[in-house]
Amino acid sequence: MALFTLENISVAYNKQNILQDFNLEIEEGKFVSLLGPSGCGKTTTLRLIAGFLESNNGKFLYKGKDYTKVPVNKRNFGFVFQNYALFPHLTIFDNVAFGLRLRKASKSEIEKRVASVLEIVNLRGFEKRYPKELSGGQRQRVAIARALVIEPDLLLFDEPLSNLDANLRENMRIEIRRIQQELGITTVYVSHDQEECFAISDQVAIMNKGIIEQLSDPATIYNYPKTKFVADFIGFKNFIEFENRTIHENEIELSKSGFTFIVQKNQANTESDRKIGAIRPDNLVIRPFQELVNPGGNELPGKVKIRTFLGRSYQYIIETPIGDFTVNQEMLVPYQVGDEIILEFPANKMVLVK
Amino acid sequence: MRNRTIYLLLLPGALFLTIFMVIPILLTIGSTFFNEGSFSFEGYLHYFQDKYFIGILLTTLRVSLVTTFICILLGFPVAYYISKVGTRTKVLLLLLSIFPLLTSSVVRSFSWMIIIGKNGVLNKLLLSIGLIEEPLNILYTPTAIIIGLVHLFLPLIIITLIGVLENMDEDLLTAAESLGASRLGVFTKVVLPLSMPGLVIGSILVFVGSFTAYTTPALLGGKQRVISTFLYQNATTLNDWHTAAIVATIMIVITLLVTIIMNQIAYKINPKG
Repeated sequence: MALFTLENISVAYNKQNILQDFNLEIEEGKFVSLLGPSGCGKTTTLRLIAGFLESNNGKFLYKGKDYTKVPVNKRNFGFVFQNYALFPHLTIFDNVAFGLRLRKASKSEIEKRVASVLEIVNLRGFEKRYPKELSGGQRQRVAIARALVIEPDLLLFDEPLSNLDANLRENMRIEIRRIQQELGITTVYVSHDQEECFAISDQVAIMNKGIIEQLSDPATIYNYPKTKFVADFIGFKNFIEFENRTIHENEIELSKSGFTFIVQKNQANTESDRKIGAIRPDNLVIRPFQELVNPGGNELPGKVKIRTFLGRSYQYIIETPIGDFTVNQEMLVPYQVGDEIILEFPANKMVLVK
Repeated sequence: MRNRTIYLLLLPGALFLTIFMVIPILLTIGSTFFNEGSFSFEGYLHYFQDKYFIGILLTTLRVSLVTTFICILLGFPVAYYISKVGTRTKVLLLLLSIFPLLTSSVVRSFSWMIIIGKNGVLNKLLLSIGLIEEPLNILYTPTAIIIGLVHLFLPLIIITLIGVLENMDEDLLTAAESLGASRLGVFTKVVLPLSMPGLVIGSILVFVGSFTAYTTPALLGGKQRVISTFLYQNATTLNDWHTAAIVATIMIVITLLVTIIMNQIAYKINPKG
């Protein structure tokens, strides 16, 4: 059973809908990321769960109870802010103890629990310092400790790593995942960084314009995007809108402007509205024009339009009769602009999206 | 080289202040220790045994502290509101709130006389609706002085508080709430400590302003003397410059003491302010 549920939630700012009929279910103990471009409604969703803003419509259920009207300070959810939001006038100890003092915990218990949570985030010995005296990564860990110490029913992260530099970001996301698994605490995490979400989450929800386009485990999303938006967001830069589709026993046959393509059949891609083929630049193959065209299809004649050196590989924009395609290919002797080539679409690398 | 020449920029201002402020103040303070040519503390001893003077001093302190307190109480909500509204409304409200500072204190005081006088607007109104039977005696009391001073100095508190409240990160308040703080808890544990710098500066301005104010207490206080009107009386009416210098020195010392005490209180509440 789901730990909490958002049911038909609508949120509007200045008459503009941010979320409309939004639904989401999250199971206990799971680490779920909300991923999407800015303005997709992911932060709004998180703030709604936290209780920082109210929905115009719909319900928020927590453990089956209606939490829609429960105020922020009665929810017992831990929130970690993008800019840390540490209290500048309090020491690290007092920052972490803030929630415990409000819960009227005894002095000895506060000391014990603050010490143990600072242990978890590796910040013992920093109790007497002030937030200004810590580095970004340390502040972020204080913010996590402060949210953890109240033993929250739900842990919420709003782009917690976006203010840190790249190395620190990687270390911190491993830390966050370790802490979450150690404590088994249900977590919702918002980010616009795809790699970060994939590395850290049990499930990722890709959001676009206030709806969830796909909610799955990271590997499924990476390999089998459902919609064109998801595919584009996670790096399938090439799309073909097919005109005809026939489902055979093991494969699906598609065509566009007289060119035939074969895609391997799987549990997901037989849905009738999956008519757009998507393929990553890394998975397209360029061959010299002299070689024979595969009579079964999956090949297009083309011409190199633009070549860019990326370091590890070259990126080519290939002009074909059905449009331009982006290809990344490693090779010692690169193709020149204007070269006639054959563009090959491996049948097991192309996915169908709607 | 560059670092040294830059100090030259201070010279004109420093010179002006030394000639027209520092030296006169030191001369004034120095003169209080000499009575008819010989060094003594007698002037001070005399005044601290004089019940009339002590009465005036205490009234002035009380009026200034009450004024400061009322200004904080009235100013905080206004400043909080103004710090949250959009830029256009903000400019308008700011202009409105500093309006008292732009009017002459003589005009302002006479207006209050018309309002709170024995046959004033307020008494007539209260009498006509039967709330009181005898006219209230407000004018020419410390209360009248407080009303006039609050009207004058409220803008100072509002402006200094807006400064700190505007820069307060909204997420800090949300963070406190998410950790379980009620609205009141958010205010006392986060907003108030973080407002301390502005609150202290505002309070010092209001206190010092009230403590040294002349026109408002002179017009609204009637026979009720405060320390500045007392000083004026000694210097001009009685032509007793020695006494005036002693009173002035006492004012300077008290002002400094209050400033230091307020800073200490602020440090206790917010050591990082």
